[in-house]
Amino acid sequence: MSLKVTPKIAIFFANEGDELSQSVDLAALVPRFSRAKNVSCCEVLPGGGAGKNREDIIAKYQQGMFNRILWVGRFSPEQRRNWESDLAAAGLNPYLQEWCDLREQGIYHEKDLRELQTQKAMILIQMSLARTRLLEPLEPLCLPGTDAVLVVGGGTAGLHAVAALAQAKKKVYLIEQQSAVGGKVAELGRLYPRICDPHCGLDFIIQKIRKTKSVEIHTLSRVVAVEGGPGNFFVRVLKAPRYVDEERCNACGECRKVCPVVLPEETSGPYGCQHAPETVCESTFRKCAISPPWPLNFPTAYVIARPLCPPHCRKCEKACPSAAVLLDQPPTELTFRVGAMLVTTGWDPYALAKVEEYGYGRYPNVISNLEMEQQDALPGEIREVGFIQCAGSRDERHLDYCSAVCCSVTLKQVLALKEKNPAVRCYIFYQDIRTPGLGEELYQRVKALEGVLFIRANPAVVRPRQDGRLALRVEDTFSGKELDLSVDLLVLAGGLIPSEGTSEIADVLKLPRNAEGFFESHLPCHSEESQRTGIRVGGTSRGPMGIDRAIETAQQAALDVLPFLQETIEVTPTVPVLNLSKCDKCKRCMEECPFGSFLFDAEGFSQVDLGRCRQCGGCMGTCPLLAVSRRHSTIEQLAAQVRAVKPSFLAREEPVLLAFLCANDAYPAVRRAAELGLSIPLNVFHITVPCIGAVNNALIADALAFGSDGVLIAGCRDGQCHYIKGNQLIKTRGDDLKAKLQSMIMDPRRVRLTNLEIRDSRAYVELIHSYLKELKEMGPNPFRA
Amino acid sequence: MPPKVDREKCDGCKAENEPLCEQICPGDLFTLGEDKKARCRMPRDCWDCMSCVKICPKGALETRVPYQIGYHQAKLIPLMGTNSITWTLIDLNGKVERFHYINRGSLD
Repeated sequence: MSLKVTPKIAIFFANEGDELSQSVDLAALVPRFSRAKNVSCCEVLPGGGAGKNREDIIAKYQQGMFNRILWVGRFSPEQRRNWESDLAAAGLNPYLQEWCDLREQGIYHEKDLRELQTQKAMILIQMSLARTRLLEPLEPLCLPGTDAVLVVGGGTAGLHAVAALAQAKKKVYLIEQQSAVGGKVAELGRLYPRICDPHCGLDFIIQKIRKTKSVEIHTLSRVVAVEGGPGNFFVRVLKAPRYVDEERCNACGECRKVCPVVLPEETSGPYGCQHAPETVCESTFRKCAISPPWPLNFPTAYVIARPLCPPHCRKCEKACPSAAVLLDQPPTELTFRVGAMLVTTGWDPYALAKVEEYGYGRYPNVISNLEMEQQDALPGEIREVGFIQCAGSRDERHLDYCSAVCCSVTLKQVLALKEKNPAVRCYIFYQDIRTPGLGEELYQRVKALEGVLFIRANPAVVRPRQDGRLALRVEDTFSGKELDLSVDLLVLAGGLIPSEGTSEIADVLKLPRNAEGFFESHLPCHSEESQRTGIRVGGTSRGPMGIDRAIETAQQAALDVLPFLQETIEVTPTVPVLNLSKCDKCKRCMEECPFGSFLFDAEGFSQVDLGRCRQCGGCMGTCPLLAVSRRHSTIEQLAAQVRAVKPSFLAREEPVLLAFLCANDAYPAVRRAAELGLSIPLNVFHITVPCIGAVNNALIADALAFGSDGVLIAGCRDGQCHYIKGNQLIKTRGDDLKAKLQSMIMDPRRVRLTNLEIRDSRAYVELIHSYLKELKEMGPNPFRA
Repeated sequence: MPPKVDREKCDGCKAENEPLCEQICPGDLFTLGEDKKARCRMPRDCWDCMSCVKICPKGALETRVPYQIGYHQAKLIPLMGTNSITWTLIDLNGKVERFHYINRGSLD
């Protein structure tokens, strides 16, 4: 705690263009506040505070006339910032300044109401003054950081993030559970829209990564536990043995020649097309226990599927010219200290066997679009191919969402198929073709091809025929005709679901996910945010998307973690502080924190991890003992403001309303209402809070006990809260309070929650008027003097 | 009269070891039942100090006024502000009286 200095407050009225003096009686206010407690100087700035004023104020501050400032009047955000930086240069802490805008509180040039407006201004300045007395100087906090980052998942998204971070000269650890990087994209045949080979792009990015020395790749690894917080995560990784020394193996393939294990050609798709591992060594085609890594040859070292080895066989060990085979390698556990983490764990295909009507898994010539990627493995005599779009997607029995890529994938596959064999006929069964943006070009290209038929319907019946082909019955919804078709091959455009790795890492890192299982985020404001500070998500673990977006999101996520990869992480000082002498370990703060920022300390008290905290103040709102205070809007400061509201300036039948405004949405809406010149009634007083989740029930009780007739709590709309669940928190607490008011024989409507958007200025003013009318009907608050 | 727990509202202080009412009760009368809701285990020993009612963040507790002051329906309900308490006293005829007290001392 810093040494308490007796506050000496300067009050400056900015009377630019006589705006203030037109609406209130400055001649009465200035002498009144000159005599107020702790006020050492009270002046009117004629020109709004430019030029001479500025030097004058700085000189006065340096003479020690005051040590904090209350500004009254309208200041634009730029003016505020200039004043703050100028005075900070002179030595005044920016957190020792308070801004009281009378216009926002409904004081305007109304000649008839001048007397009343002066009285309201008096109360408003009292409120701000009460707060100014309690302000504390704050300095940005510095937390130790680490210059390293961990990326989980080495698919395309992960690789691009790794390359970006390595370019920024950060130490990067890449954790991949397969024996090589590359992910799903390495399994694809072609990429739309250029119909290019994905291995080209992957190779390009891998070359980039190979050039840097700061990347450490751990394959066959998974994250098992995480401790610590942003800046200092301690990540435990379990690395399964590869049985081959990564540094010594040069992938010559000698070992494969002697391996006695011969596996039958593994076929994952019933039609015989397979996700065959890329063979590095041309001479070896058969599959054995020791094989090149999969799905790409990076890292190049071979890998042994040890359970397949015959007992006591050590042939590969003897055959290896580089002595790279380590048949007794144990699993290792590694711990990394990193400043931030990036999750790019990708997707899995939806299990198409669940879409029973199309016979996937029962008929050999029904394949998935992922299997269709390996077109070279298709038998040559195909004449007619059917493609079923949205197989399992946009279907309430399967996936509710659109998987975003399947339309383009099918179009791409048709193009590739026609390129190879122009005579083949393609039927595309679809609900809607979705190729947004420039993807339209791909659609038009395919539409123009001969022998490609788009049929707006999904087949009702899929049956095998005697000759091995498939019979389809489909009702074309455009012509209304029933068509009987037969195809050689039926491709199901299956959807994307979050990968198993995504679920696994979500459990380890305790990352919240949405109903579909993808990582949830606040898209417009923090798209890469994972709801856990210092952990960012990218790629398809966030939702179905194409490769282009997966790369973009991963790179943006990489950019977002950079601030955590410094030696010191600067944190805004408006963090919550716990008063442990009041805390009785009820840990409601821990339960309700949307970001999981609270931990237990050695004695079982809650402790804030300042790195994780997003400073919404939800903990302050929830603490039943008022033991938590968010700095710069502490519970004392808010309570002092609430208490300074004196409803007696209005006649008893006129209701007085206290409104708590969320700083993100409701406050800008009110500020805009003032700018638009909408009439904000004199009956309402506004107090801005960082998030409405920070409004403690005790503050509402205070407001009612000190005579406000109603309390309005204005937050963001549902699902738009920057702090995820501020509205939910206040809703539950508000319901508890309302039930209590009911038992006290007070109208529960005296407390009202509302959701506003930033442009809801008019709606807000209308709401205030209707609420005041309602309060008038209710009569005065029984606690009002 | 002993405190009454509204089992709908009580959340057992999210099933922590000791709910707030258990911590505050000077007679150590409260405990967490098997259903993870607060329970007064010795109602006859209650002194009607109302500490539990004041501290319950869910408003799930209620005590009745001792018969010397008011009979069965009479109720006394505290509402805690940051540094003040308001009391609502409803007597058996339904007459409502309200009191507002500001605590001495500062918040911390």
